[in-house]
Amino acid sequence: MMHRRFRFFALLPLFLLLSAPLRAQDVLVPMDETQSDHLKAYGVTFWTLTQGMEADWLLNYRGGSFLLPAEPAILNELRVRDVRFETLSGSQVAGILAEIEREDSNMSTVKLEKAPRIAVYAPDQTLPWDDAVLLALTYAEVPYEMIYDLQILEGELANYDWLHLHHEDFTGQYGKFFSYRATAWYVEQQRQAEATARSRGFRKVSELKSSVVETIRRYVGEGGFLFAMCSGTDTFDIAQAAFGVDIVPSEYDGDPIDPDAITRLDFGRTFAFQDFRPSFNAREYEHANIDAGAPPPQLRDPVVDYFTLFEFSAKWDPVPTMLTQNHVSTVKGFIGQTSNFRKAVVKPEVVILAEAPGRDEIRYLHGPFGQGTFTFYGGHDPEDYQHFVGDPPTDLNLHKHSPGYRLILNNILFPAARKKKQKT
Amino acid sequence: MGSGRRTAASGGKLTPMPADIKTMTRFRFRLPSILLILTLLAVAGQSQSTRAQGIDSTLVLRYQLAESYLRAAQFDRAIALLEGLVERSPETYVFFDKLREAYASVKRYDEAIALVDRRIVPGEAGTPLRAEKARLQYLKGDEEAALNTWDETIRQVPDRPGSYLVVYRSLMQMRLFEKAVEVLEYGRSALNNDELFQTDLAYLYSLTGRHADAAKEYLGVLEENQRQITFVRGRLAQQIEQEDVLEASITAAEAGVRRQPLNRAFRELLGWLYLEAERYEDALDAHRAIDRLEDEQGRVLYAFAQQASDAGAYSAALEAYEEILQRYPDAPSAPEARRATGTLYERWADRSAEIGDASADSLYREAMAAYGRFIEAHAGHELLPEVHFRLGRIHREILMDFDTAEATYNLILDLWPGSSAAERASFELARLAVLSDRMGEAQTRYARLADELRTGELAEAARFELALIHFYRGEFEAALSLTESMKENTSADVSNDAIGLKVLLVENRGPDSLDVPLRGLASARLLVRQQRFEDALAATDEVLAAVGNHPLVDELMFERAGILVSLGRAEDAVSSFKEFPLIHPDSHLADRSLFEAARIESEILGREADATATLTRLITDYPGSLLASEARTRIRTLRGDGT
Repeated sequence: MMHRRFRFFALLPLFLLLSAPLRAQDVLVPMDETQSDHLKAYGVTFWTLTQGMEADWLLNYRGGSFLLPAEPAILNELRVRDVRFETLSGSQVAGILAEIEREDSNMSTVKLEKAPRIAVYAPDQTLPWDDAVLLALTYAEVPYEMIYDLQILEGELANYDWLHLHHEDFTGQYGKFFSYRATAWYVEQQRQAEATARSRGFRKVSELKSSVVETIRRYVGEGGFLFAMCSGTDTFDIAQAAFGVDIVPSEYDGDPIDPDAITRLDFGRTFAFQDFRPSFNAREYEHANIDAGAPPPQLRDPVVDYFTLFEFSAKWDPVPTMLTQNHVSTVKGFIGQTSNFRKAVVKPEVVILAEAPGRDEIRYLHGPFGQGTFTFYGGHDPEDYQHFVGDPPTDLNLHKHSPGYRLILNNILFPAARKKKQKT
Repeated sequence: MGSGRRTAASGGKLTPMPADIKTMTRFRFRLPSILLILTLLAVAGQSQSTRAQGIDSTLVLRYQLAESYLRAAQFDRAIALLEGLVERSPETYVFFDKLREAYASVKRYDEAIALVDRRIVPGEAGTPLRAEKARLQYLKGDEEAALNTWDETIRQVPDRPGSYLVVYRSLMQMRLFEKAVEVLEYGRSALNNDELFQTDLAYLYSLTGRHADAAKEYLGVLEENQRQITFVRGRLAQQIEQEDVLEASITAAEAGVRRQPLNRAFRELLGWLYLEAERYEDALDAHRAIDRLEDEQGRVLYAFAQQASDAGAYSAALEAYEEILQRYPDAPSAPEARRATGTLYERWADRSAEIGDASADSLYREAMAAYGRFIEAHAGHELLPEVHFRLGRIHREILMDFDTAEATYNLILDLWPGSSAAERASFELARLAVLSDRMGEAQTRYARLADELRTGELAEAARFELALIHFYRGEFEAALSLTESMKENTSADVSNDAIGLKVLLVENRGPDSLDVPLRGLASARLLVRQQRFEDALAATDEVLAAVGNHPLVDELMFERAGILVSLGRAEDAVSSFKEFPLIHPDSHLADRSLFEAARIESEILGREADATATLTRLITDYPGSLLASEARTRIRTLRGDGT
């Protein structure tokens, strides 16, 4: 049975009282500007959970700090991983909690109980670009397992609480890297995908991917958590809308698109986007008009391109608050195959977590589906403004305080939060 | 919208393209159409006079309109027009072809197939048309019919290689690689010609994981034309990162060499594959064979030896050098091979010494012997000074035979004055003079070098050594003055050492004009350098007893602990280093002393748990230490993180 059916709704104050830390001594891992390594702080908190101990996430308190038991093993781990911490007495802890509980403060406490089991959807094959999700988890030393199409179709998602994916193409168009079709990595990628498709009885890779998407959709519907970045976001929804419809140009699958493909798209099946139009041009490096693309030329500069995080009520909207915890309110922009989602195609019920100011473009969004949730984050690599094919991966040792990467790691702790008590 | 800004992925981006390639792309797509229309118009123009195909300008205009509809994705209108055109002029290929394409574009495969069927003339080969029919059947989902049609296409003209190629290409469009292999293999068998379709089959075999067969085909290509070796290597290079591909290719190449031992391309391929697999002994055999068969006089062997030596495959490299010297003692590459043999032994010995391998001593002896043979065999050769310098280095650094080293360096100075080797020999002679406590001579040599060279690494090193000599002598002003002149290039190690010396001098003078503590430290450091550790310990103890609370006490205590390590008193050294932060918690050496203690505990005493505890103490008590990062890494290594 998966441990992921946690929901956050009302009665938070009661929950907070019940879950208030009662330990004699704790350590505060501040997540404001004083933190020596924001990214590894998530890793130590995750590690604490794997050791069978609990942690508290102090939402909006000093950048979303963590309160951990002052156990020698934890202290040692904090030191070894160079994560700054402050040892607190019981009265200091009580003071902090009282400050958080004040009605006029937009802060709250969330109990983290159990380390979620994390799967990252990624192929075994090494592809010539980095994967921000894998980089973040690896740097933060958060354990994960990699799964791909076959494992998903064989039902292995049931073993995980959390599925994370990055630069993927669920439409079966191999990322639309048409100009790379003769390169060894592309040929190998295509060969492996075709072999997998054939082994599962699919004539085309797009059919295989469609089946994978359906399986993930069921997983989320039953309570799974999905986090996607870059092209893993829009192609997932495109594939959902195009279930049973051929939207893949002949350059990728040998046959043309369905002539009535546009009219047959079913936006009722998608998570976040609606009324979009897929791109049928095989040579266009874009899957649909969901992505707003790079910023306008005058803003296409890492110095001036940024997006802003929305502020939510920590006491009444703990989930979006968790997902937006950061030590800054504006985050520097970065471009990917999918960078910003056009507001016009985002479903009204979706929660907007961050947006590009003044551009009707959304960077980061979240929403429920069935018993689970999805979170989509645009852009490729938060610390590499434009990541090109063949570029070396980002060294996160040089970006220990990356606000953009923090947003990825917020998601790994979100499934660890204790299910809130329901009103009776 | 995205499509307006995004264009082709040709820029290799995971991020959007700045260039507006779309216009170019459109033009590229339209170009064939424009050419086609021009052709049609030309044909139309002709037809007015000849009536060859009966195409008039009205048909051309309707064709153009149909094309416009297709571009606008108004397929029904386009198809209606094109159907009319085909009806009016059924023999005009472009009308037929465009209608076929239009049908396929909207997946009206039955009509497309019927159209193609109508064009196939019974009794005639019609190979491309039949292959196209098969492709349409496959797209329709009727795989069995498609396979039958492809087979039938070949049966129509089974004696022409082109039939198989047309079907192969049709199958490749559908990415039916296994079937494509079958077709080409069948064609080769039917035409009784094993040399047909070699590159196509090799490509297909690679795609389908039949790497041994792919390699055999590539050998076939080489058998036909040995100059294709670069092409074949290029093809295989894309695949051999996969271990099974490499192994399969080697097996096939070995069989090829057995079959045709005189084929140079086969052996070159095999040698290259062995190198890729890091099978250096086998690679040596392959290169040796080429060298002999082609009478290369050691050139092939020499190139191989250099590659192997760079890769650390010393044994194979050595064998190659020795073979060159044995077989071709008078070849142009022989002197270089003889010197390289010495260099190889020396490098091999250095690596063995680094990992504590007992063979290091004998390897150094071999290096000396090899250099000796060079000196004996190549009097007057331009490499002689360098060879002598290498010998001097072994005498000085490894054998600690300072007299012989000195004699060697003096010989270089006598025979090749002004050479680069002579400059370095002079520097080494000065160092030897320091070791022998001939400070005046050392000072003269360093000063001369610094004056003569003025700039460059050796000049800077000489200047720093001069500063050290002044420091050892207690001439602190002179030492300070020299270090002042060396702070320009902080990226050089020697400049950083100079800055360190300067800080020591500036901060630790006094308490009176005699500078007793600093003189004591300088004296101890000279004794350490001269490896007189007992004397150094006694001198340090003496100064420590005399200086009281002078700021240099921590420096002296740290020095003392280091001397204990050199004396082999590891336990005492650990105690001293661990005690240090208790006595001098605010010293800049406190964290370093803990780091040193941990190093000795793990590396010398083998007490890893103690080392971990000491390093933990370091990061706990001195979290801001520059050594904290390295300490954390060592803790992780000691506790086995990531293993």
